[in-house]
Amino acid sequence: MEENKEKKENISQAIIEVIDFGPLKITGNFLLKDLKRDKEESPDEVRLCICGKSANKPYCDESHKK
Amino acid sequence: MEKNENQFSGGRRYKNDDITVFWKPSACVHASYCYRELLEVFDPSRRPWVDLNGSTTEKIIEVVNLCPTEALSWKWNDETKNDSVDNDQLNHIKFRRPELMNVNDPDSKEQPVSVKIMADGPIVLKGNFTLSYNGTKKEVHDSMISICRCGVSDHMPFCDGQHRKAGFIG
Repeated sequence: MEENKEKKENISQAIIEVIDFGPLKITGNFLLKDLKRDKEESPDEVRLCICGKSANKPYCDESHKK
Repeated sequence: MEKNENQFSGGRRYKNDDITVFWKPSACVHASYCYRELLEVFDPSRRPWVDLNGSTTEKIIEVVNLCPTEALSWKWNDETKNDSVDNDQLNHIKFRRPELMNVNDPDSKEQPVSVKIMADGPIVLKGNFTLSYNGTKKEVHDSMISICRCGVSDHMPFCDGQHRKAGFIG
């Protein structure tokens, strides 16, 4: 019971992490709206391209390593 | 002299016969609603970038109210009109579109963080979340930040508006 409550509280919080030399990683409770491609989704985790090189925008496709 | 008249602490003001529009660059997150909706008035490549002669007062008010931050705000030049709508004349937040602002929502802490991918622009994050970058971690409460998506910003990881000049598409 206690554990469930704690889990719920964790889920309600989103963590946004700028990975060094990598993408923007978002986990937790969030709603992603892509205004360019007119898409809306709420996955548990997403990795968004912030280097500008991805061929699969807005997502990271590891192109930053090239 | 005229130059001073157009400035206030933290920004500039622009006037037409009906209203004054205030521009506070430090508050801008480059969500870019202004120039996408009304380039005739808000053109970042022009100096000065705001020209209130470019459209009607009604349309200008509508687009200023779209600004998700306090970077753009407006008031009536006729002070009595401001008194009748809102005491805080620099912050007409009540006029802003509710679907963009979620103002005074008691449940806002429970709401998911809004992550918006702006067309050819940054990632605009809004709500309560933990942000970690460059080895630092900070708690963001009820506010809005924008993360660069083009890789050109001078203030990484934050957007500084350069995607437009860089011609970023994505």
